Amino acid sequence: MSEIKLKINGKQLTGTSGETILQIALKNGIEIPNLCYAQNLKTYGACGMCVVEAEGSPKLLRACSTLAKDGMVIDTESERVVKARKIALELLMSDHKGDCKGPCSLNCPAGTDCQAYVKAIANADEYEAVRIIKEKLPLPASIGRVCPHPCESACRRRLVEEPISIAYIKMYAGDALLNANKHYLPPIAADTGKSVGIIGGGPAGLTAAYFLRSFGHDVTIYEAMPKMGGMLRYGIPEYRLPKKILDAEIAEIASMGVKMKNDVKIGADISFSDVKKKHDAVLVTIGAWSSTKIGVEGENLKGVLGGIDFLREVSLGNAPDIGKNVAVVGGGNTAMDACRTAVRLGAENVYVIYRRTQKEMPAEEIEYEEALEEGVTFKFLTNPAEIIGENGNVKKIKLQIMQLGEPDASGRRSPVPVEGKFEYLDVDTVIAAIGQKVDPKGFDGLELNRKGIISADEATFRTSEEKVFAAGDATNKGAGIAIEAIGEANKAAYVIDGYLNGNLIGYKPAYVSETEVTEKDFADRPKQARVKMPQRSAEERRKDFKEINLGISKEDIIKEAKRCLECGCHDYGDCKLIKYANMYDIHPERLKGEHHPGFVEERLISIERNQNKCILCGQCVRVCAEVAKQGILGLVDRGFKTVIKPEFNDPETIKVCADCHKCADLCPTGALKIINNN
Amino acid sequence: MKIVVGQGSCGLAAGAGKVYDAIKQNIKQNDSIELKVTGCIGMCYLEPIVDIYDNGELKARLVKVDAKDAERIVSAVRENELNQLDDIKITADDEGFLNQQTRIALRNCGIIDPTDINDYIANGGYGALKKALKEMNPESVIEEIKISGLAGRGGAGFPTWFKWDAARKSKGETKYLICNADEGDPGAFMDRAVIESDPHNLIEGMLIAAYAIGAGEAIVYVRAEYPLAIVRLEEAMKQAREAGLLGKNIMGSSFSCEMRIKAGAGAFVCGEETALIESLEGKRGMPRLKPPFPAECGYNDKPSNINNVETFANVAWIITNGGEKFAAMGTENSKGTKVFALTGKIKRGGLVEIPMGETLRNVIFNIGGGIRGDAKVKAVQMGGPSGGCIPESLLDTVIDYKALSATGAIMGSGGMVVMDTSTCMVGMAKFFLDFTAKESCGKCVHCRIGTKRMLEILSRIVSGKGKEGDIELLEELCYAIKDGALCGLGQTAPNPVLTTIRYFKDEYIKHINEKKCPAKECAELLTYTIDEASCKGCGLCAKKCPAKAITGEIKKPFEIDPEKCIRCGQCKIACRFGAVRVE
Amino acid sequence: MCECHEKSDLSLIEETLNKYQDVSGSLITILQHAQDIYGYLPTDVIYHIAKRTNSTPANVMGVATFYTQFRLKPVGKYLILLCKGTACHVNGADRILGSLCEELKIKDGETTEDGLFSIKSVACLGCCSLSPVMMIGDETYGSLTPEKAIGIINELKAKEAAK
Repeated sequence: MSEIKLKINGKQLTGTSGETILQIALKNGIEIPNLCYAQNLKTYGACGMCVVEAEGSPKLLRACSTLAKDGMVIDTESERVVKARKIALELLMSDHKGDCKGPCSLNCPAGTDCQAYVKAIANADEYEAVRIIKEKLPLPASIGRVCPHPCESACRRRLVEEPISIAYIKMYAGDALLNANKHYLPPIAADTGKSVGIIGGGPAGLTAAYFLRSFGHDVTIYEAMPKMGGMLRYGIPEYRLPKKILDAEIAEIASMGVKMKNDVKIGADISFSDVKKKHDAVLVTIGAWSSTKIGVEGENLKGVLGGIDFLREVSLGNAPDIGKNVAVVGGGNTAMDACRTAVRLGAENVYVIYRRTQKEMPAEEIEYEEALEEGVTFKFLTNPAEIIGENGNVKKIKLQIMQLGEPDASGRRSPVPVEGKFEYLDVDTVIAAIGQKVDPKGFDGLELNRKGIISADEATFRTSEEKVFAAGDATNKGAGIAIEAIGEANKAAYVIDGYLNGNLIGYKPAYVSETEVTEKDFADRPKQARVKMPQRSAEERRKDFKEINLGISKEDIIKEAKRCLECGCHDYGDCKLIKYANMYDIHPERLKGEHHPGFVEERLISIERNQNKCILCGQCVRVCAEVAKQGILGLVDRGFKTVIKPEFNDPETIKVCADCHKCADLCPTGALKIINNN
Repeated sequence: MKIVVGQGSCGLAAGAGKVYDAIKQNIKQNDSIELKVTGCIGMCYLEPIVDIYDNGELKARLVKVDAKDAERIVSAVRENELNQLDDIKITADDEGFLNQQTRIALRNCGIIDPTDINDYIANGGYGALKKALKEMNPESVIEEIKISGLAGRGGAGFPTWFKWDAARKSKGETKYLICNADEGDPGAFMDRAVIESDPHNLIEGMLIAAYAIGAGEAIVYVRAEYPLAIVRLEEAMKQAREAGLLGKNIMGSSFSCEMRIKAGAGAFVCGEETALIESLEGKRGMPRLKPPFPAECGYNDKPSNINNVETFANVAWIITNGGEKFAAMGTENSKGTKVFALTGKIKRGGLVEIPMGETLRNVIFNIGGGIRGDAKVKAVQMGGPSGGCIPESLLDTVIDYKALSATGAIMGSGGMVVMDTSTCMVGMAKFFLDFTAKESCGKCVHCRIGTKRMLEILSRIVSGKGKEGDIELLEELCYAIKDGALCGLGQTAPNPVLTTIRYFKDEYIKHINEKKCPAKECAELLTYTIDEASCKGCGLCAKKCPAKAITGEIKKPFEIDPEKCIRCGQCKIACRFGAVRVE
Repeated sequence: MCECHEKSDLSLIEETLNKYQDVSGSLITILQHAQDIYGYLPTDVIYHIAKRTNSTPANVMGVATFYTQFRLKPVGKYLILLCKGTACHVNGADRILGSLCEELKIKDGETTEDGLFSIKSVACLGCCSLSPVMMIGDETYGSLTPEKAIGIINELKAKEAAK
């Protein structure tokens, strides 16, 4: 045994003769990626990930097997090495079939780990569920109620019968904690001495505040309205999201030490430049609070209201007099909120004017159905042509009859007027719920895009000003759904944290492995209907603003959560393959091709094997033979068709298996999963 | 008089067994005619071959003999009227195939009886072993090999003495000598010919090597596809053992060595020495990481030396004649001779042994007689799946390890497949990738998935689905696999692709951009039509068409339905008027 | 015990096992003998070999599936080995394979329903000068054309029919 001196990445290190480059690197905290190496196993050299470049060696060396020699000069991240690893990873990923994450999570704009919190609820662990939700969004009870749940649209359970009721599971988890007066709040890092000003206390502002505060920054939210909550408070009616729920969740955020300043309007109560002076970074999350005009004659008559203006006034307790007959123009969720609010305010005839058919309506199907139940009349294929007044007040609305033409760029068939065909409705109020605009007044100096919306970098959320960031409805594409604003705010919080630490790194979506599945893949699944949300009767609920949903029982929600197919990989957090895939910028799609024979296999005592995810590192085979001394697992076939197979068809084999889990413990991917054996 | 029938695998496949039986039947008891067999002379294209000797002198060489000729052959020999056989005698031109060669490894092939040790001994056999054991010590044997410049004939061309020296110097009582006779390179069969035709030469070479490195056990790992070679080698080993040339105290010396055969079970990768060792140990033939090299830690974790058949086949000659005489042949860095299996679209295909330094053109045109039908040479493939395609313009390249490597091909084990313009080079690259992908052991990522992906890309190119960027992607994969694969199989697998891209890029581009195969070989890129003017309306093509794609009235021009046509080419073969056009 | 349906006569392999079971590295040789005896490697025989050689079925199965020589299913009476070596490729081996498959109505690697023929394309048989080549039993047939290859098959069929 003699001492060896060598240089790795410029660092002078010592080792002992007989040690490999990898061993010395690992001992000294230098990470060399590896997928088939394990300390207690013989070297194998299959994955090609641990290659390094040595001065004077024409070939790349496998660090796992190359013995260190005195005087070696090693580079573990040279251009050539990185290129080699990249292609090795691309090759591996091109033959690795699995879902890192469930489609629910991937389709969630905030990337909430739906599968994980659904599972927590299946295990009756509401606290854990809320903890998981709050990794991405701090308002589970509120968002659980109002989110149009893109997660559910993507849910694969729909290929069996119906998607998992993910949003209501989130609502349940949030409520359960609030009702028990339990609160999950993240650990808060030590004060950094940096301060962030957030302008706008809506879902985006609150979310950013929650995370930035948890990073230890001093956070102040400036809100123009009398209370925090933004559109959640002033755009969503009480019957969908009771204010006390929202208040409770906002109070949780406040309890972290977030300073919340209400009734502070930028440009009126404080200037934008003063805010900038006060803070090390500013995040603009002012939302989109102006209603879009219809653009017809008569729009300025008394009795013509903007959709969100109407909802805001009702929320503030200043419900306008809308009369007996109300026309709501538009087919989105705001239109639904407006028409159903109008019903509750006592209007007798409430019409929804929509220029296409029900099929094309952007509103949630359930919203439409509930509105229908509550007595709203839908006038499909009509479009306002003129609002006719009398004495300055709305009297009638003239509707152009439409028909569907060719599909447009979005794939929806675009409406075209039927020449000369009109209809008239007697109305007292016209509510225009056809869109929202950003009002950037007071934010002098911020660059706007062509639509007059604040421009922010897609990755860094930075505006045209160095320390000003912006997210949510007020930026780029304009108004969207709350969870989109929350997703952006969450990402922006991390970027701003980096910025405050002198290391601004834009957000980059993680590379994930995904598969495509069809109904056929689930043909043998027993069907189990989705649990229904109990509701107050339409007759009852149309009379007041009390919440229409009564909440799902614990028993039912657990049953619902157990329907989850668990599409996402159990090993996502620990998977070395995906970790490396994200360390190197890989594009395996260019090497797309056939997959090795894959199958999910029966259980070896308590291990489920998914060959689709196997990368043939051979660690399970080797540990079973070399360490566990069982030799139950073996490589079968050769070349691309190689698979790992235990001899399941022999009951004797099962007896031989020591159930030691050594194989699953070593598996660098999610191919081996330890399961409960009952 | 002696009648000798060539009975190598090729000869037997051509009917030598039937010829032998027929001759035997015709020989009467009182004829003083001796009937013997010999191995393969290497003129495979002339098989079956029958030689007639008188007093050890070759009197006549009869070629393409049929069993029906047996009676007159025997009677001509009986009557010593060999001129009766002039019509089946070899031509002077064909004699040129042999006359232009220098035979060392193949020196006894097709001449002696491989089943009779005495024939070998009569030709000087086991003299070299005697010399080594009685007059030389192991170091001087290694020194002689060093002087000869002999390099591994299996493909890599590593200096033989160096490996022997390393194995000799490795610590350990037990050492092994292994012969790699797992000749897996498609298109090469010289090792088979040596074992079938001159097994004692291999045994003698191995014994000398075993003596040099200090191995007490020698193993020959033979492909299972070579049953005749196994039978002949087994018989030869038995005879050698009986003659005291194998086993304990060989030739009364203190040197003892056992020898046995291990039949492979079909895996090209076992040509790689560490995979071969795994296979010898009864495991899956998956290569080990190097280092440690087999010379330190090989079979059963003991020092082992592995050479291929042709390498050993030169050893006895070198010991007998001296290393200098061997080194006098060849070039600066490639000494001695090399055996090639000349095949493909060549007129005279067979085994050719020539001194290093000759040009490829000489081999193809002077020895091989050029291309069948006097078509143009397009390329010559050397080194099989590990090698590459050398274009016609480089045929003046000399046979030399370095010079051949510079072309992107390799010397390899000696497969030399000649191609004319009707061979699609993209198809050729796909053919080899198909081979390596099938033969990949599956251990390392680069080879297991990389060759598969390359094959997929090549497959889409030849089927008209190639995309822009495919050539670049192939090249990128090639270099990555060369760099990243664990063993020689993977590291060299890209060579056929790289050389065809290098020399025939225009063919790739035509496949990808124009969806055309210039060699008219890629079925999916062809269009078959019938030329109205030439078609006589006989209807033969329609009858032969398996897809019923051809219709028409007798005596009027027929037509091919392009929708139904499966591009099998049967119509073109069937048409006697050349009316089927392929574009 | 093995739960597969095969019930092979394990006594047939006794002699081989007695000779080789304790000789290390003999697994391939044992499997070669077993295939000679049974025509293929029945699963129960694989389990038996594993037990007797103090190995595991996973290991024996791994070796048996690595090498192309070994078969886990019975093959036809006539196993056609069609050479796909380089020389044969250049001289039209694909066409021969195509016509044989069409004639026998099976794919490469399959066996005809009557159990008479199996086709397997193999790497070089080492008879390159006679390419394209196929081997049936111990017999090698060279310089094939599709017609010639089908003719050989038909001869064998006729021979069988005459029995």
